[in-house]
Amino acid sequence: MSEFQQSTEEIQKVDHYLDSGFKIKYVYENLSGMFVEFARQEEVALLQILTAEARKYFTAKLQEQTLLQ
Amino acid sequence: MADLRINLAGIQSPNPFWLASAPPTNSGYQVQRAFEAGWGGAVWKTLGEPILNVSSRFAAVSYNGQRVAGFNNIELITDRPLEVNLQEIYETKKKFPNHAIIASLMVEPKQEKWHEIVKRVEDVGVDGLELNFGCPHGMAERGMGSASGQVPELVEKQTYWVKEAARTPVIVKLTPNITDITVTAEAATKGGADAVSMINTINSLAGVDLNTWNTVPHVAGKGAHGGYCGPAVKPIALNMVAECARNPLVNVPISGIGGISNWQDAAEFILMGATGVQVCTAAMHHGFSIVEDMIDGLNNYLDDKGLASVMDLVGRSVSRYSNWGDLDLNYKIVAEINNDICINCNKCHIACEDTSHQCIDLYTEDGRPMLKVREEDCVGCNLCSIVCPVDGAIAMVERKSTVPPMTWNERQSLISSLSK
Repeated sequence: MSEFQQSTEEIQKVDHYLDSGFKIKYVYENLSGMFVEFARQEEVALLQILTAEARKYFTAKLQEQTLLQ
Repeated sequence: MADLRINLAGIQSPNPFWLASAPPTNSGYQVQRAFEAGWGGAVWKTLGEPILNVSSRFAAVSYNGQRVAGFNNIELITDRPLEVNLQEIYETKKKFPNHAIIASLMVEPKQEKWHEIVKRVEDVGVDGLELNFGCPHGMAERGMGSASGQVPELVEKQTYWVKEAARTPVIVKLTPNITDITVTAEAATKGGADAVSMINTINSLAGVDLNTWNTVPHVAGKGAHGGYCGPAVKPIALNMVAECARNPLVNVPISGIGGISNWQDAAEFILMGATGVQVCTAAMHHGFSIVEDMIDGLNNYLDDKGLASVMDLVGRSVSRYSNWGDLDLNYKIVAEINNDICINCNKCHIACEDTSHQCIDLYTEDGRPMLKVREEDCVGCNLCSIVCPVDGAIAMVERKSTVPPMTWNERQSLISSLSK
């Protein structure tokens, strides 16, 4: 899979969670990339984001969420 | 015609082009010929206790047919008695009262030594002083030049001693052979420097002769490190000038030095904060007459930009120079290949495929070989346009980002608010 395809899929996953009413609760980064914890009421989902483009996209979404709060 | 006159910390000059302290400013004969050719100022070859030089002093690095891409020297400061130099400075200033003559000085780091030489040099009418805290070879082994220029406390203290005695503006010339030149620039400023100049030469060994195994240059089979300058060092010098220009603690004018070979180089240094520039290697390579093109070129450039004075150009790009963490992560450019101009050498494809992001595809159209960039995979690194031998065949074009601008620093701040 090309890096573009991989980042597109990761971006779609980010959008999927946010469009489904999840909020970004925690973010942490380590040698394996970025890990995001999404929460919707009691439900929690963990997403690992590997690609640089998707990590940039996610941060823009995090900024949107922060501005809306 | 724009006004090319500059005022660098009180030193007036008919144009911003000075000869740097080096072999071209060794004598009155040379400096007077340089002024006749059009140079606005000259920093006299460093005065101090007359030294002894060795034979075989220079070496150059040529690259792919480009002669003197870099230049290396192991020559020391003046080997002539102070009185001889002072007499020639006096005569030169008398003949060219409107040109700037700056005396470069180097003595042991002792207060009385600095006081003595400053008084004697100023008595013959120099327009300013430049303290040589930069020469990396020979004199540094004796505790002078870059040896004292690498120690911020010594830079500050010696500048202070000079300022105690000086009546003319004091420029402190800095060595690049240090991790962070802004530290010594700050020290010079604290010591009372009226201006700083940079860069002096970089520690270097030009090469090794593969037949004899001697160093290049060598003196009877032995070599020692020299000072590197010329076009190859320009990016290093330009960065150091820019770093000092944007540092609020280095709040004095800058005289830019390092690989300046034409008016364009000079304009870049001026845009990055230099009030004037000093040139050596280009004059050694091509002669004093190069200043004619420099003057004409800068004049035309200023006219094109609608600027009445070269002083209006000083520092105009400094605010555009920042930290990496303040760059927009979401700014996007991609390569665009013009197949009508492309000669199908495939250098862009090879460079991208082997050493970058594998985003340039080869294909044929009506039997004709073509190249196309897959924009979604292009990271905008510029490599293809750098290796392309045909002007205009590859353009780097801006693409609108789907997300708003965000710097690394902003991103880290945002993420830290939600970190575990």
